Amino acid sequence: MPLNIDWQQILLHLLNFLILAVGLYFILYKPVKKFMKKREDDYAAREEKTAEALKDAESSRAEYEEKLARAEEEIASLKKSAAAETEAVRAERLRDAETEAEGIVAAARGKAQEEKRKIIEGVGTEIRDIVGSMAEKVVASDKVKLSSGLNDAYEEFLSAAEKDVNDGK
Amino acid sequence: MSKDVKNTKKKKIAAAVIIACIAAALIVGIVLTDPLYTSTEEISDVMQDAVLHEHNKVSLFGLDVNPALISAIAVTIGLLLFALIVRIFALPRFKHVPGKFQLFIETVVGLFDGLAKKNSPHRNGFLGAYVFAAGVYIAVGTTFELIGIPVETTAGTSVSLPAPLSDINAALALGFLSYFVILSGGIAGAGLRGVGRTLKDFSLPVSMSFRLFGALLSGLLVTELVYYYLASSFVLPVLVAVLFTLMHALIQTYVLVMLTTMFYGEVSEPPIKKEKKHKSAAKRGAAHKNITVSQEV
Repeated sequence: MPLNIDWQQILLHLLNFLILAVGLYFILYKPVKKFMKKREDDYAAREEKTAEALKDAESSRAEYEEKLARAEEEIASLKKSAAAETEAVRAERLRDAETEAEGIVAAARGKAQEEKRKIIEGVGTEIRDIVGSMAEKVVASDKVKLSSGLNDAYEEFLSAAEKDVNDGK
Repeated sequence: MSKDVKNTKKKKIAAAVIIACIAAALIVGIVLTDPLYTSTEEISDVMQDAVLHEHNKVSLFGLDVNPALISAIAVTIGLLLFALIVRIFALPRFKHVPGKFQLFIETVVGLFDGLAKKNSPHRNGFLGAYVFAAGVYIAVGTTFELIGIPVETTAGTSVSLPAPLSDINAALALGFLSYFVILSGGIAGAGLRGVGRTLKDFSLPVSMSFRLFGALLSGLLVTELVYYYLASSFVLPVLVAVLFTLMHALIQTYVLVMLTTMFYGEVSEPPIKKEKKHKSAAKRGAAHKNITVSQEV
């Protein structure tokens, strides 16, 4: 054969390479690839897990924000209703107070009228008494001072009356 | 102060090492220049034998074979032993965050697997495993000649083991095997169409084989030439080793792996009949749309 090509040696080289290829495949290539694949899958799973956790966190955050917004709304409505209730209570109390005040004023007025009437009535009796006593005095002075003039008697009456007033009768 | 003292010590140690190396090199030179160590073969005979392997045969279980076959077997044994050690001791300790050694192993496996996936996206499971084995075999086999393990020939002389693929038989074996792997990919991926696509590139196994053989043989010849003359056996082998062995190892690995994956990807591509149907359906759909639009207008 040209170039000293030997079929037997070619076959021997082929057999040698076949043994090498099969051996390397099962001993080194396949296990290393398996390890690399496993690691890749592991990292992919981790990444997926992280993405899922991130998604969960995002949804939790959105939920929390929604809840917060709802709570704020609720607080605002509660505040509003409380304010309205307070206003109603205040108005009711004011009304009650006004009613009470009106009653008090009316009672006071009635009482005052009664007092006034009583005073007036009392004053009338007193005046009558005073007039009676004065008339008595006048009659008595008429007896004493028949000789004196009417004016003198009147003067005497006034003096006597003044004196009574001063004495507190 | 302490830093200065340390620096002076280091300098003294470095100077001592350099002087010792020079002395050792001189002693080696003196020994090697002895006429006892000069080759009795003519350079033309040495180079012709490196190409044709007519005289220097090695006995393998009674068979007279080329030294490159012994190299191939040695490389296979070495690689399988290394793989076993990695499988038993290193792989169970692999971690999610890799260390240096784990990173190296993963990079090598990932490199070939990635090339297979990139160049043959339709079908790459078997291809990845094949190019991994072929790539590692070429790279390690080519650098193997740097070790220079001596073996005794059947004629009683001593030769150092060459790169396995510097033997035409090994190069033909790998070239044709790669071609058959491509052909198998074509059959598996595209049936008879794949066979046709593969047979179209009938020159591929020969070109791949001879590219490998030529590249590695050139390295072998240059190395033989350099080592034949004693005067060129100092310092120069370092350059030769880098240029004709390490570079060849990398380049030839890359070339064979790339060619195999690219051709495999090309021939194993599934037929695009269905896409054509879709296209015609899409065209019909578009035409129908145009008609309706014009009618509406």
